[in-house]
Amino acid sequence: MNTTTSPAALRWPSAGPSRAPYWVFHDADIYAREQERIFRGPVWHYVGLEAEVSEPGSFKTSRVGDTPVILARDIDGSLHVVVNRCAHRGNLVCMKEMGRAEAFYCVYHAWVYDLRGNLTSAAFRRGIRGEGGLPADFDYKDHGLRKLQVASFCGLVFASFADALPPIDEWLGEVGDGIRRVLHKPLKVLGYDTQRLSSNWKNYHENPRDSYHANILHTFYGTFGLSRASQESAMFIDGGGRHQYFWTKAGTEKKSADYQEAASGLRSHNADYRLEDASLLKWTDEIGDGVSIQILTLYPTFVLHQIANSLATRQLVPCGPNQADLVWTYFGFADDSPAMTDVRLMQTNLVGSAGLVSMEDAAVCNMIRRAVGSDREDASVMEMGGRDLVSGGTTKLSERGLRNFWNTYRNDMGL
Amino acid sequence: MAKPVCDDGTLRAIEQLIYEWARLCDEDRLESLHTLLVEAGEYRIQSRYNADHGLPLSVVHTRSGAQLRDRITSLRVANVYEKHHYRHLVSGVQVIGVEAGVHEVRSNYAVIRTMEHDGSMAVFSAGQCRDRIVFDAGEARFLARHILFDSRAIDTLLVIPL
Repeated sequence: MNTTTSPAALRWPSAGPSRAPYWVFHDADIYAREQERIFRGPVWHYVGLEAEVSEPGSFKTSRVGDTPVILARDIDGSLHVVVNRCAHRGNLVCMKEMGRAEAFYCVYHAWVYDLRGNLTSAAFRRGIRGEGGLPADFDYKDHGLRKLQVASFCGLVFASFADALPPIDEWLGEVGDGIRRVLHKPLKVLGYDTQRLSSNWKNYHENPRDSYHANILHTFYGTFGLSRASQESAMFIDGGGRHQYFWTKAGTEKKSADYQEAASGLRSHNADYRLEDASLLKWTDEIGDGVSIQILTLYPTFVLHQIANSLATRQLVPCGPNQADLVWTYFGFADDSPAMTDVRLMQTNLVGSAGLVSMEDAAVCNMIRRAVGSDREDASVMEMGGRDLVSGGTTKLSERGLRNFWNTYRNDMGL
Repeated sequence: MAKPVCDDGTLRAIEQLIYEWARLCDEDRLESLHTLLVEAGEYRIQSRYNADHGLPLSVVHTRSGAQLRDRITSLRVANVYEKHHYRHLVSGVQVIGVEAGVHEVRSNYAVIRTMEHDGSMAVFSAGQCRDRIVFDAGEARFLARHILFDSRAIDTLLVIPL
């Protein structure tokens, strides 16, 4: 199915998935090929939460890659995803971010579509006084909005431009267990935060897969004791190598000598600092398994996090090779008490654009993008835990998840 | 024209408090910010987008001087970001109501962010400050600062308070 050939000058390093050549982050042809093969290819893409379109007739706009789409719930309760682009002259048919609608109406020439994307009327179809109008054989059925496949999993809605692709639970594999663990009852959206990155989307996609950096870059964890590299943890990758998640249990520090020795050299290990008010770090083990942090990444642009009691999805939206938006959607459960909602809201201080724990991820993505510049020779090196797709096992101190990502990416891109 | 709800001297003191906060941010004297809040004071940064949609989420929310001081300690010792400076432009300070000694105040702000590494300058944030201000032994103090930023997006990160 890969018909276009790899650009001659762009050869993947012979070391394979333990390398990512820097040209993947800035090359305009690579970006265009990603849109075609990954974003409009046989891949399930997260577009929103069912809770965002809970009522019949509700909609939200979203993106699949850089293509604008609308997620809508029809009157019968069914979910639909269509391209937000009038079939007539390409204008947006939905100008609002979210809301309720009976139909989508293009302001340019009043072409009207139902919530499933079917064209239901076009202004002056019959012309006026016998002049103008559409041809007699113009069939509305052939001019609807472009429709995507839709699948729902634990309240997450996915869409795909491809007709033939595996069912969503098969696509997610074992990593579906990590979603089921967190999203076990109806959700309630608490708000949004969009973080605009001056980097390639893949600079960010690598980040939550990379459990190696967590306790090194994010010194808030170590400085104030929410998580340490020595805590009990595990990492899972689905059989297809696309998706992964890892978790950590707070309060399970290992007192090993090699950890003490290694950690004493880390910037993040500082016993001198204490929070004046540590209530921000108090959390409830609401699932009852002791897991304080779970970061789950789906190929290619989705993250689900549980950081203490903060719950959010992160959707990565590519905007050209050098910019991406990271859209954080925070939520709780529909049956949360006001006190629980308050805990989740206050823990937002830890994450997102102004998050004490995680704000530096965006800074690093931007710095990598600047450091890479327009390089076409060098590559990043990912050999923590080994060089192949299986080595590294389930330890957090491994780049196995990154190697699996780049292997999948290479296959999908035909590079 | 709307009638002033407080005397000129009170308005001047309120303006000075708002300017002082902005100058502390711009001069990197963040450790003093908490002194402009009453100790149980609240400081909150929320997108207009969330507020307009009735969504409670804020990106920064501290509910005491201690929590604000913790945020400043974190940005000094723990957080990693490229060095940058703010320049606040504050305008349109209006006292819109007074009840039981609490002055309800509105003002506009714009923050130009300058990145040290390449000197790039851009409007980083603009919006409205919704302040509740009290007088404690004659000194104006924030009981609550609620900053609503107009854009739904934040460029890279927000670490220095607005």
